[in-house]
Amino acid sequence: MPEHKVGTREEWQAARDELAKLEAEHAELGRKAAEKRRELPWVPVEKEYEFDTEDGKKTLAELFDGRSQLLAYNIMYGPDYQVGACPGCTNLGDELEGTRVHLNHRDVTLICFSRAPIDRLVAYKERMGWTFPYVSTYDTDFPLDYGLMLTPEQAEQIPEVQELIANPPDWMQEWAEMVGAELKDGVREAPSFIAFARDNGAIYHTYTVAAPDPFVQPYSQFLLDRTPKPQPEEPRAWRKDEYPDA
Amino acid sequence: MPEHRTATPEEWQAARDELLKLEKEHTRRGDELARMRRELPWMKVEKDYRLETEEGPKGLADLFDGRSQLLVYHFMFGPSYEAGCPTCSSMADGLDGLIPHLHARDLTPLFVSRAPLEKLQAYKQRMGWKMPWASSAGTDFNFDFQASYTDEQVREHMGPMLDDPPPVLRQMADAAGTDVAGYVSEGPAATVFALADGDVYRTYSTGARGLEFLMGYYPILDRLPKGRDEGSSGSDHWVRRHDEYEAS
Repeated sequence: MPEHKVGTREEWQAARDELAKLEAEHAELGRKAAEKRRELPWVPVEKEYEFDTEDGKKTLAELFDGRSQLLAYNIMYGPDYQVGACPGCTNLGDELEGTRVHLNHRDVTLICFSRAPIDRLVAYKERMGWTFPYVSTYDTDFPLDYGLMLTPEQAEQIPEVQELIANPPDWMQEWAEMVGAELKDGVREAPSFIAFARDNGAIYHTYTVAAPDPFVQPYSQFLLDRTPKPQPEEPRAWRKDEYPDA
Repeated sequence: MPEHRTATPEEWQAARDELLKLEKEHTRRGDELARMRRELPWMKVEKDYRLETEEGPKGLADLFDGRSQLLVYHFMFGPSYEAGCPTCSSMADGLDGLIPHLHARDLTPLFVSRAPLEKLQAYKQRMGWKMPWASSAGTDFNFDFQASYTDEQVREHMGPMLDDPPPVLRQMADAAGTDVAGYVSEGPAATVFALADGDVYRTYSTGARGLEFLMGYYPILDRLPKGRDEGSSGSDHWVRRHDEYEAS
């Protein structure tokens, strides 16, 4: 017998129905948050940015690729990372792949940003078999202007970051080895989604969401939230081609 | 584009910080729900189901494929369908990339449908998916887990709507290559099972709007200016199979 409590069909159904009420309330709260998000004011983008892409230099307007909404996921892959992007962010990249076509048909262009130079992004994208446009913010003001990175000086001002660097848990150490950077540099990239809108030729910043919001973590957690085993305490992640038992 | 006001970065940040409180509340309650789901009693599965797979017939315990958790998505592909439901297909596109990461967490994802295995295999190949897919043709499996309905149940539940179905139902039935009664004989549902000491237990089931966690595009659209953009009644059906969108 499992250690878990076992019930009859009727007992299971009664408990499930009770939970369904709370799930409906939670969904309603999610709808309210979505409504609130659409009430956020928009901030005009005044600066001209130019990014390195696989197809040469592109402005922010060009990244929209003819659509009116641009959503970018900022993958933690800084110029200091000698091995590759953050494995957790990489999982999220895997998950965005198949959904992208449907977003493209809702007037959304979905891309990923990282701060490492473009040739490293292109090589990593090929290794992972991704097809979304992968854009480098290397050597632009963009990541700093939009809170997608910390400078070394900024990182020194944040006690939580300093504490993490001074006393990292084991999984953080392993993470730093997996990306090939010193922890103090590794933590200076901010995993986030950032959204822009284009209207009458002008570009606006509309929304940013950053870790630890669950939306910025691998999507598989939403399935695992519905399975019996509890999630591990430590957020260890592996790239799909590097699982220890694969 | 929807109407909007513009603001300085400082004004935006203040509004953003206010919204963050609501988002955090949503996250906190989501965590609480995950904990409560794990406290549900388990229901022992007593019946011996045999499903058809690419590797021959398999019992439910074999479908776990060596792991201890199984998530079945009852993909709407009934015996009268010529092709799978477009919405289920859009979910499948997103789920394919999750497979290695779910395996690593002791979870086997699996599609189950009532159409014969050859139809499922041909469709899977057309869509380019890797997800394992089993046929429950000729078994009670999908009926027992509220994912398929008998002709009598369809008539009882749908009644007069079968004679005058809403346009969206007609559209979906057409897309699946069947009639409305055939289309609604299948319902979308997900069932989670656990394997312990050789016995299989049903731990969780959900259907209808409770399936949004399998639709990767909705949480993304919920963070963009236009939102889901599905009309005032929420019924504008925009999802197509990934190879059937008009060029845009």
